[in-house]
Amino acid sequence: MATQSDTIEGFGQVSRRAGIIFRYLLMGATMFGIVTLAILLVYVANDALQPLTADPGWYLVFFATLVAPATLVGAYLARTNLDALKLGALVVGTLAVTLMFSGGAAILFVDIVPPLVSLSYAVGLVVPFAAVVLMTKYEDQIPFTVRVAATGAIFFLSLFGIPGYYHSIPEMVQKIPVVPTEWVIVTFLLGGGVSVVVGLYFARLRENTRAGVVAGVAALAATGLFAVSGLFTGVNPTALAVVTAGAFVPTAAYAGGAALTREHERVGLLFAAVVIFGALVGAVAVDVLGFAGPQSWVDWQFLTSSHSGTAENAGLYPAIGGSILLMITVAALSFPLGVGAAVYLEEYAPDNVFTRFIDVNISNLAGVPSVVYGLLGLGVFVTYLGQATGTVLIGGATLALLILPIVIISSREAIRSVPSDMRQASYGMGATRWQTVKNVVLPEAFPGILTGTILALGRAIGETAPLIMIGAPNVLFSLPTELSSKVSAMPLQVYAWSSLFASEDFYTKAVPAGVVVLLAVLLAMNSVAIVLRNKFESES
Amino acid sequence: MTRNSDVLSRRKFLIASGAAGLAGLAGCTESNEGGSDGGSGDSDDSGSDGSGELSGAIDIAGSSTVFPLATAMAERFQKENTGVNINIQSTGSGGGFANYFCTGQTDFNNASRPIKSEEESQCSSEDINPVELKVATDALTVIVNNDNDFIGEGLTIEQLETIFSAETAPTTWADVNSEWPDEEIEIFGPTDASGTYDYFIEAILGEEGPDHRQDYSATEQDRTIIQGVEGSEFAIGYMGYAYYSENTDAVQAVAIENDAGEFVAPSLDTALSGEYNPLSRPLFTYPAQESLAEDHVAAFARYWMENSTSKEIVADEVGYVPLSEDEQSEMLDKLDSAIEAAN
Repeated sequence: MATQSDTIEGFGQVSRRAGIIFRYLLMGATMFGIVTLAILLVYVANDALQPLTADPGWYLVFFATLVAPATLVGAYLARTNLDALKLGALVVGTLAVTLMFSGGAAILFVDIVPPLVSLSYAVGLVVPFAAVVLMTKYEDQIPFTVRVAATGAIFFLSLFGIPGYYHSIPEMVQKIPVVPTEWVIVTFLLGGGVSVVVGLYFARLRENTRAGVVAGVAALAATGLFAVSGLFTGVNPTALAVVTAGAFVPTAAYAGGAALTREHERVGLLFAAVVIFGALVGAVAVDVLGFAGPQSWVDWQFLTSSHSGTAENAGLYPAIGGSILLMITVAALSFPLGVGAAVYLEEYAPDNVFTRFIDVNISNLAGVPSVVYGLLGLGVFVTYLGQATGTVLIGGATLALLILPIVIISSREAIRSVPSDMRQASYGMGATRWQTVKNVVLPEAFPGILTGTILALGRAIGETAPLIMIGAPNVLFSLPTELSSKVSAMPLQVYAWSSLFASEDFYTKAVPAGVVVLLAVLLAMNSVAIVLRNKFESES
Repeated sequence: MTRNSDVLSRRKFLIASGAAGLAGLAGCTESNEGGSDGGSGDSDDSGSDGSGELSGAIDIAGSSTVFPLATAMAERFQKENTGVNINIQSTGSGGGFANYFCTGQTDFNNASRPIKSEEESQCSSEDINPVELKVATDALTVIVNNDNDFIGEGLTIEQLETIFSAETAPTTWADVNSEWPDEEIEIFGPTDASGTYDYFIEAILGEEGPDHRQDYSATEQDRTIIQGVEGSEFAIGYMGYAYYSENTDAVQAVAIENDAGEFVAPSLDTALSGEYNPLSRPLFTYPAQESLAEDHVAAFARYWMENSTSKEIVADEVGYVPLSEDEQSEMLDKLDSAIEAAN
């Protein structure tokens, strides 16, 4: 924009130049970080994915089947019905993100926790849960303390038993002589759980029990069908069952629900269909026509094999599994502690010197460098408590300590944003503080709490320094199978490749590929957090 | 308001899926063998007991110089024994002994120098008996920048001693030799946790001699040493031969004057023939005798020794001099008697 000056007689001149320069300086400051990072990412992604090595025919096929139709439909929707386009994009995004997460879950079921063990613990949890539900029915006739004691005892007995005298339920289930094959267990365990949710969702949407049952059975049948198809195609049926139950069924249910209820926007599903079918048709066409895709280092082999001395054969599998286990441990430890602390500080704690002291300290702890937490983990868990170095439990506990302040702060933020009118209304109706927290505050704040926790987990998944400090191995070749096995993580593996394997090959092949996978997981986690936040904001 | 229908649908749904489940269970069962020996879960997950009966974890720490060799051996062993989990950490020889091996955290400790007597006493106070196994020969390599042409034929032991001694501690190259440029020496090297550092002191500075200077860039990451020397014309550094052999374009190796007065460049051949002295050195791994009582640890130790003469693994892939047949049989005897003593 050219500088201009307006001359009005009697008012002198005011130059806009300074203001315009200032504006563009500010814009430059805004863009500086983003552009620098974008250049780095393009550089890394180019190294990892090697997009220039593909046949021109490969690009042509995908342009014809995927890019061109998707752009056409997308442009049409963008002009006529933007909300519909958003719905369609959300369905595609859901499929991509759930595919990634269910792939992780498949690793868990295939190689870490045998399905039989999961089944045994599921049974071990369902039995006491049923007993507790039963007890709640007679809540008025049983004194509170007896109820609490009985609940505790039932859970303990069924999960742990009395060693030597009485087997726990998981142990008994694992001793059953004839058990279903693994994929059958997974189909019913995961597929069953997902189809119950899907069934309830449709029953509520249509306000019709039959619709729910039909949807639920269809979901279970789909999971079973995909698993069975694995038996004939040679793909691991357990993994197929997990991916179907975790990705295909939820995406289809979401799309189906939208088609039923959002009449104005359901045309957007066309966009999702064009993208998904375009990708599938493109993949088949490329295979049939024999066009080679890019020589990407992020390929199936990279994701499923372990470290190797040659960069071409090196893979991230143990690190991916390790990261998944670490995140589960971190979430299990930091979520209850962090949310508990947040609820106490927001709802119960009196405003005095002591709580203000704690306030300040939590804010400061959130900024403590991660290497200090690593040292804390090493000192407390390894040296003082005498645990083995570098295990899943130690790593998870250290990372949980690291993100605990962040979880507390974001949970407090979410709890604080619950309007005090709602609390007052609850008190006005005679509810106690506990009832208010349980029935009003926590349900209202939950999406915010979840968003904060996911973002905090995103920080934990990228941490390297604490894991180095607690002595996690630089190289391992198989997945950790229990809490006390040694663990590696994706950023740690990338660090090991970049520092301990000096050859240029590792630097240009394995390291960028690892970075791309790590960033993809991080983006997926953050996108879940963002979608949750947007949904939460538009509802309230 | 919809709670009632929720409950109803849930119940109906459970009945429906339960019935379907029973039908499925009847058809798709297998006999449960894995679960019969308890829920320990360590070794009995069905994914990992495919090819061999060996299972368990092997933890290895120690020298960054031996690390690539240990990784190469572990990778091959793991392929044949999928039930064994091998975890390898690069901590430096001394760091590995003091913090991991002698505290009972690891089964093996790699070392690029023999174990020290104080380390032995620390281990024995914890009832851990290290078994010394030689795994390869390394040519400790001194590197300088590619643009460095003033050192000419090579460096003498005396010049190396002058550069790295804490007593002389020259700040410029001209302080070492007045014909060399008056530019600051930038020194890169391993930390004092490293066996390479210890061996360099022993070979160049002497046990009784001056201390190693401490005003240098110390790192356990050999790549950092290479990058440091690559980036500065007046830099010098030293490390194991394997890392140099991966980066021969980035830096140049310095020929060192040997006891016969010849300048010899480091290479696998000169290290093997003994011409490259005094900087060619043996590399070791120390399994704990107590750990050798476990079958999978003993099997891995034996696998390593059996492949220690392999030119393909030790020389071509990693970059060290393999053991001779005689050395190998000596090490195998030593290992067998240690395994026998452990059981």
